[in-house]
Amino acid sequence: MTISHFAQDAAQIALEKFNRGEIDRRSFLFALGGLGLAAAFKPGVAQADASEIVVCNWGGAAADAFAKAYGEPFTKKSGMKVVIDGAGPAIGAIRAMVESGKVIWDATDGGMIDSLTLGKGNLVEKIDYTIVDKSQVPENFAGEFGVSNYVYSNVLAYDADATKGVAPTGWADFFDTAKFPGKRTMCKWIQGQLEFVLMADGVAPADLYPLDVDRAFKKLKPMLADIIFWEGGAQTQQLFREGEVAMGNIWHTRANLLNKETPDKFKWIWEQNILSASAWSVPKGNPAGKKVFDFINSTLDPAGQLVLLQIMGNGPSNPKTLALMTPADALVNPTTKENAASQIMLNPAYYAEHETELQNKYLDFISS
Amino acid sequence: MRNFKTTALLLTVPASLVAIGLYAAPILQVLALSLTEPKFGFANYQSLFANAAVGRVVMTTLKVSVTTTVLTVLASYIVAFAIIHMSAGWRRISLFLVLVPFWISVLVRAFSWITILRRRGVLNSALMETGVISTPLDLVYNLLGVTIGMVHYMMPFAILLLYANLSDIDRRIMQAARSLGARPATIFWRVWLPLSLPGIALATLFVFVFSLGFLVTPALLGAGKTLMIAEYISVQISSTSRWDLATSLSTMLLLVVGIIVFAAMRSPALRAAFVARPQQ
Repeated sequence: MTISHFAQDAAQIALEKFNRGEIDRRSFLFALGGLGLAAAFKPGVAQADASEIVVCNWGGAAADAFAKAYGEPFTKKSGMKVVIDGAGPAIGAIRAMVESGKVIWDATDGGMIDSLTLGKGNLVEKIDYTIVDKSQVPENFAGEFGVSNYVYSNVLAYDADATKGVAPTGWADFFDTAKFPGKRTMCKWIQGQLEFVLMADGVAPADLYPLDVDRAFKKLKPMLADIIFWEGGAQTQQLFREGEVAMGNIWHTRANLLNKETPDKFKWIWEQNILSASAWSVPKGNPAGKKVFDFINSTLDPAGQLVLLQIMGNGPSNPKTLALMTPADALVNPTTKENAASQIMLNPAYYAEHETELQNKYLDFISS
Repeated sequence: MRNFKTTALLLTVPASLVAIGLYAAPILQVLALSLTEPKFGFANYQSLFANAAVGRVVMTTLKVSVTTTVLTVLASYIVAFAIIHMSAGWRRISLFLVLVPFWISVLVRAFSWITILRRRGVLNSALMETGVISTPLDLVYNLLGVTIGMVHYMMPFAILLLYANLSDIDRRIMQAARSLGARPATIFWRVWLPLSLPGIALATLFVFVFSLGFLVTPALLGAGKTLMIAEYISVQISSTSRWDLATSLSTMLLLVVGIIVFAAMRSPALRAAFVARPQQ
């Protein structure tokens, strides 16, 4: 879930930048191309046929203009039209489509965890690694039902004015309201939430899974009144900008944007950041059939992934991209060696097994 | 006359077909899913009642809905009562002002409330600058914020319902009461209030039923901490894929609302609200 929410956010960031004129049309299109979010940024239901790839992602309210103005050039280049449906590939939506036999999406931008959940429900095709080049990504990014297109991290971001210039050193400071007064924010979607609470409580990264839910809740309980739970990335920026919170567990892309806006005020630390992998999945019975894997393979190209990092902040899933980065790129990238020193990786297998139960327990807990 | 009735009936056919196709059929599908997901039977309903978390969501929903209903009807009655006593010109202006929020999207209204209520928002800033408070009040991202947002959303509906009812009341009755020596307070409590009971009942029912299904306002203004039925169902459908839970809870909500409306319609006050005005 978090991953899908994240993907939605990434496209929104690009769109905002484009609208502000911070990136030009070519870069924007190229970035989306790197993600596989190419030609037509088209809202509403896409009509699929075998001569095009329909990608479902989370973002893009405005966009018919993109379809007309920038979709066609890309189509000329790749020989195949790529249509983007911004409807959002929620697990429930994919399930409804597959079970009713009316599949219109070829590739969905979910996450490694979603891909496992969908695979378990027999709702997605296996990734065809005779077409998709497995060696482009680390082994754990090439799953049976999903292959990673980019990564992102949950980081501790803070308002340096509120902390009087003192930088927090880890998740433990999230709970230290004596040293760092002010409200906090964290996500209402479970992925990457209990991990940080447990690390703050002294659990070693190696011992995180299976998550000790009771211990995490116990640690979180006294803080509940001071926590505002966020639902989407834009909201986290808003909460910091408006001075509503002093500190929070937010996506590194949003922390980066906040920092760019007000470099002296909004900062984040990479200590104990929690890395998640996003991934492509292919709904069972997708209209374009095997052709979708050519498209997926092309999204693993380092050049495109670098542009994605530069424009949206998403980290590359292809490690070869690291060699192409400028020092400035490397600074905001979660897979850079220094940034990943104390990083932990979200455990997809664990979530695929327990997410539903955990999410409901968590919702019950934060609303009680 | 008979012919006219047939024609009138025929005129309702297209709308009925659309309603059945787009509304009733999907609802039946939900109902069917609740009985067949994952296998046929009433097991989903049994586990629904055994689920303590669902119980808490239902309690939160009831608490918020009842609070919203009481506050909305009270505030709306005052507004509607004031409006019917205005001159025609002022009444037009007032009704227009009531309708303005009515036309604005629920999302925009929720975000506006955040701007007003947040810690450095319009209200807190004003109170702090005038020295009324020294630290900002927690007005939003909690139950209070949700209640404010919901009451504001519901008020135009309740005001219009009450306005329609109050303006139908024959003013000569008040004149009669006054001529018999009743004081203004007596006239209000013993004449206005009893005569406006049908309107109050209708507004109460409408606001309560509407509140039970609220999604956007509690999600935005409650910051995850006020979890109501509609949001819970939406999470179970799209995120956790617990369609068994989602569909059985939806069906229960529909059933309960149906029972409430049915029972309420049998009350004298509501029946009066729907009876055609006697021709004079």
